Amino acid sequence: MISERVSYEQLLGISGCLALALLAHVTTLPLWVLAIIVVCGLIRLWLARSGRSAPPRGVLIVFAALVMPLLFLRFHTFNGLVAGTALLSVTAGLKLLETKTQRDIYIITLIIYFVSLAALLQGDSFWLLVYLIGVCWLTTATLLRATSSGPAPGWRRSLRFGGRVLAQALPLALVFWLLFPRFAAPLWQIPNDSKTAASGLSDTMSPGDISQLALSDEIAFRARFDSAAPPSQERYWRGPVLDYFDGHTWTRSTSGRGGAPPPLEPQGPAYRYTVMMEPHQHRWLFMLDWPSSWNQPNAELANDYTLMEPEPLSRPVDVVGTSHTHVQYSQPLTARTRMRELQQPQGRNPRTQQLAREMRSAHPDDMELVSAVLGMFRQQPFYYTLTPPKLSDNSVDEFLFDTKRGFCGHYASAFAALMRAAGIPARVVTGYQGGTLNPYGNYWILRQSDAHAWTEVWIDGGGWTRIDPTAAIAPERVESGLADAVNADDTLASRWQRKTPWFAGTRLRLDLLREIWRERILDFDQDSQRKLLEMLKIPEPDGQKLVMVLGAAMALAFAWLTWQIHRGLAPPSKDVTARTYARLCAKLAAAGIARKVHEGAEAYAMRVAQQRPDLADTVMALCRHYSALRYAAPSARITLGQFQAGVRAFRPKAASMR
Amino acid sequence: MSSLRQAATNRLRAWAMRRHGRDSLPINISRRRIYLLPTRFGVMLGVILGAMMIAGLNYNSNLALGFAFLMSSMAVVIMHHCNRNLQRLSVDVTPEVDAFAGREATFEFELRNGSNLDRRDIEVRCLSAAGMGNVAAQESGTIEVIAPVAQRGVTRVNQFELRTRYPFGWFYAWTYVQGLITIYVAPSPAGTKTLPSAGAKGTGTHSEARGDEDFSGLRAYEPGVPLKHMAWKVLARGGEAAVRNYSSLAAQPEWLEWSALEGMDLEARLSQLCLWVLESDSAQRPYGLRIPGREIAPSGGAAHRFACLRALAAFGAGESEEPVL
Repeated sequence: MISERVSYEQLLGISGCLALALLAHVTTLPLWVLAIIVVCGLIRLWLARSGRSAPPRGVLIVFAALVMPLLFLRFHTFNGLVAGTALLSVTAGLKLLETKTQRDIYIITLIIYFVSLAALLQGDSFWLLVYLIGVCWLTTATLLRATSSGPAPGWRRSLRFGGRVLAQALPLALVFWLLFPRFAAPLWQIPNDSKTAASGLSDTMSPGDISQLALSDEIAFRARFDSAAPPSQERYWRGPVLDYFDGHTWTRSTSGRGGAPPPLEPQGPAYRYTVMMEPHQHRWLFMLDWPSSWNQPNAELANDYTLMEPEPLSRPVDVVGTSHTHVQYSQPLTARTRMRELQQPQGRNPRTQQLAREMRSAHPDDMELVSAVLGMFRQQPFYYTLTPPKLSDNSVDEFLFDTKRGFCGHYASAFAALMRAAGIPARVVTGYQGGTLNPYGNYWILRQSDAHAWTEVWIDGGGWTRIDPTAAIAPERVESGLADAVNADDTLASRWQRKTPWFAGTRLRLDLLREIWRERILDFDQDSQRKLLEMLKIPEPDGQKLVMVLGAAMALAFAWLTWQIHRGLAPPSKDVTARTYARLCAKLAAAGIARKVHEGAEAYAMRVAQQRPDLADTVMALCRHYSALRYAAPSARITLGQFQAGVRAFRPKAASMR
Repeated sequence: MSSLRQAATNRLRAWAMRRHGRDSLPINISRRRIYLLPTRFGVMLGVILGAMMIAGLNYNSNLALGFAFLMSSMAVVIMHHCNRNLQRLSVDVTPEVDAFAGREATFEFELRNGSNLDRRDIEVRCLSAAGMGNVAAQESGTIEVIAPVAQRGVTRVNQFELRTRYPFGWFYAWTYVQGLITIYVAPSPAGTKTLPSAGAKGTGTHSEARGDEDFSGLRAYEPGVPLKHMAWKVLARGGEAAVRNYSSLAAQPEWLEWSALEGMDLEARLSQLCLWVLESDSAQRPYGLRIPGREIAPSGGAAHRFACLRALAAFGAGESEEPVL
C-alpha cells in the first residue's frame, strides 16, 4: 500500500493544507520563499492533472541546490525560527514537487504539523490557535482519505472522524497543558531572531519621532491600579530618559548610568498597580512616575529612575509596582551629573543660546525662568500638529523662531535645550501619558498613540521637577489624550470610532477578552500551576506534587478515553421497550407468576388476571401497552415514556392469599 | 535489519503460540492479544511531536505547547482507534483448503463484526500472502487471501495474522490467531496419457452417456452434481433431493491406476493421475483411484473428486507443518 501512487485529488488536498498552514507565515516569510512553494505546488498539480508523474530526481536536486544558498544568503543561518521555518517550508514545497507515493504525503503532513507549531511560536492570538487547529483538522482528514485502502471515505465522513479524534484528544491535552511542569529558564539560549522590530519608544528622539507613533493603535501596555487611579495629569509612565543632545537628536547616554538612583522622599499617596507589558524588544519597563518598588527580581532602577531589565523584553511580562506621583529629592545633584545634564552641542542653535541668555538675565530665579518659557509657548503662535515641517541640524532654532509647529517631541526638545542653555540642568523624558480606561476590565490601555515626551529640570531645593511644555500649548492634550488633540490630522477610522460609541465599547470589550487570554493562557506558568494545586486543596504544592497530580489526572483522562473509544464495541443493547417489558415480567415473577417462555404478552396478562384479580387491570393495561409499542404502527396514543413510568410504578405485592 | 525484524517476528509468533495455545475457531479477538507498534511514519511522527514539545517548552510558549500536547494526545487517541479496529472481531476460516501445486490456494476468512462500528482496512496475512477488506457494523464479511503454493503435499498452517493500519497509518495493530488450516496441495495436473478407458473403447463413449434412455434409477443427492441431473420432479413431490443415475455412468466405472503408469517418475505419475481425475470428473463418469496404500472406490461428484485429489496430495509424504518455530 505504501508504494501506492498518489492521485490528483490527494495531491490537491495535501497542497491545499500546506498552503493553509503557510498562510499563517505570510507576514514573516520572505515572499519569494512563498512564491517558490506555490510554483512547486502548481507545477506538480499541473503534471498530475495531465496524468504525468513527478519530475525526475535530478531536476529536484538542481532546484534544491539553487534555493538553499539563496535561503542562506537571506538569513545567514538555518538556526533561527524564521530561517528554520523558511527552510522547512521550502523542503515541503520541493517534497510536493516530487510527491509520488503515500510516503511523501506522510512527510508533508508532518511538515504541516511542524510549520503550524512554528507559527504559534511567533504569534499568540486566540484566532491563530483556532485557525491552526482547523488546518490540522483538515490535514488529518486529508490524510485519512489518502491512507485508506479502497475507495477513499467521503469528505464529510473524514472530517467528522478527524473532528472526533480531535475532540477525544482534548481532555488529555488539557491535562497535559495544565499540569506539565514548565521550565523557569529555557533549555538552551534561543537564538534571537529579532524578527519583531522593536516597537514604540526608542532610546533616541529626533523631532518628529513621536508623531509617527501617534498614528499607531498598537498597544504598548496595560495597567491596572489596585485602588483608585491617579488623576490624568499625574499619570506619566516613565520610559527612557534622554540626556545627550547633539542639536537635533536626544539620546540616552550609556555611560555614568551605574550607581544607585538619588534618594527620594515620597510624598502623597502610594499607588500600587500592575503593568502588563507587551514585548517591545527594549530593556526598559514603563512604571508610573516615580517607582519605589517592583516585583521583577532582575530589574534594576537606573539612576535616572527608569526601571531596566537585564535583557530586552521578548515576551509579555507582568510587573507589580508601587509609585508615588509626588516626590522630593533630598540630596543635591552631584557635580558629575550636573555636568552631564548641562551638556550642549558646540556651536549649534545660536539663536536659542541668545534667547536663553536674554531670558536668564530677565529671570534670575529658576522657576520664574521656567514659567517665562512656558508663557512664551502659550502666548506666541505655537501650534500643536502631527505633521510639522521637517527640521535640519539646528532644529531648536528653526522650531522656536521659524516654524513654530510641532508635536510633544519638539516642545520637550526645545524646552530642555533652552533650559540647558540658561544653565539649568534639564533632560527629556519619554514615556506614555494618560491612557484609556477599559471600564469592563477596570484597567488602563496605553497605546502607542499615548506616547509622550516631557522634560525634567533640576530645581535646587526641589530636585528633578517634571515640566510638560506641551501642556502649555494645548492643555486639553494632557487632560484627555492625543486622539482629541489632533482633530485636523484625524484618520478616517478614528473619526468613525468617535462617532459610534458602541464601536468603541465593542473594542474595549474585545480588548478585555484579549487581556484575559493573555493573563490566563499566554502567561500561564509555574506560579499559575501552584495556584491551581492550591485550588485543588493540595497542601504546600511543589514540583513533585505537580507531577503526582499530573499522573493521577492522566490516569483519569486515559480511563475516560478508553471508555469513550471502546464503548462503541459493546454489542447493541436490547431496545428499551423489550428491556422495560423484561422488568415488568421480573416483577411479576417475584410476585409468584413467572412468564412461560412461549407465552405472549396478552396470554400472560390473561393468566395473571386469573391468578391475581387484584393486579388484573394494571397488568392488562401494561401488556396492551407493550403489544402496541412493539407491534402496532407508531402512534401518539401510547408513548414509551408512559409505558416505562407505568412499569416503574407497578409494585405487585407477593401472593399473600395463599 | 530485515532479518533482525524477521527473527523478532518469529520469536513473537512462537511466543503467541505458547501463550494462547491453539484457538478454537471462530474466535472473538480480545484486547489482550492485540499488539501495537508505530509504523515508520509513526516513529517519524513521534520525533516531530517530541521536537514540537521541546520547542514549545524552550520558547516558553503556552500556545505552542498546547498545540504540541493536542497533537500528541491525538496520536494517543489514534493508537486506541487502531487497536479498537481489531477488537471483538470474530474470525473464522475454512479449515481445509484445496489447491494445485504451482497455483494458488485461496483462504477464505470469515469476519463477523457484532459491534456498532465499521471496521476498515482489516488485513489478513497467511502463508506470506495478504488480503484486505472492510467489515461494516453488524455485518460479516469474507476476506480472501490468495497464496501461491509450490509444493505438492499436505501443509498445515498453524497461525495466521490479522493486522490493521487504520486510521491514518501512524500505527499498526495486529494479532495472531492459532487456527489450524490444512492445505491439500494436489499435484499439478499434467500428462500426455489418455484415460485408460478411452484407449480400450475409443473416444466419445461418455458423451452419449447423457441420453435420457440410459436412465437407470435415482441416487442420493450430493453437492457438485450438475443441476440438470437433479431429479426435480421427485423434489417437487416432496421427496428427498435425488439425482438421476444414468446407466452408462453407473455401468462403466473407470479405474485410475498407479500401476498403469509404470516407468514414469513419481511426481509425473501423480500429475497424470490428477489430470485423469479432473478429466473423469468433468466427463461425469464414475471413477476410482488406486494408488499404493490407498484405494478409493468408484464414484462421482465433488466430494469424491476432493477425496481423490487429497489422496494424491498426501501420497508418499507425511503432513508437513508450516514452518513455525
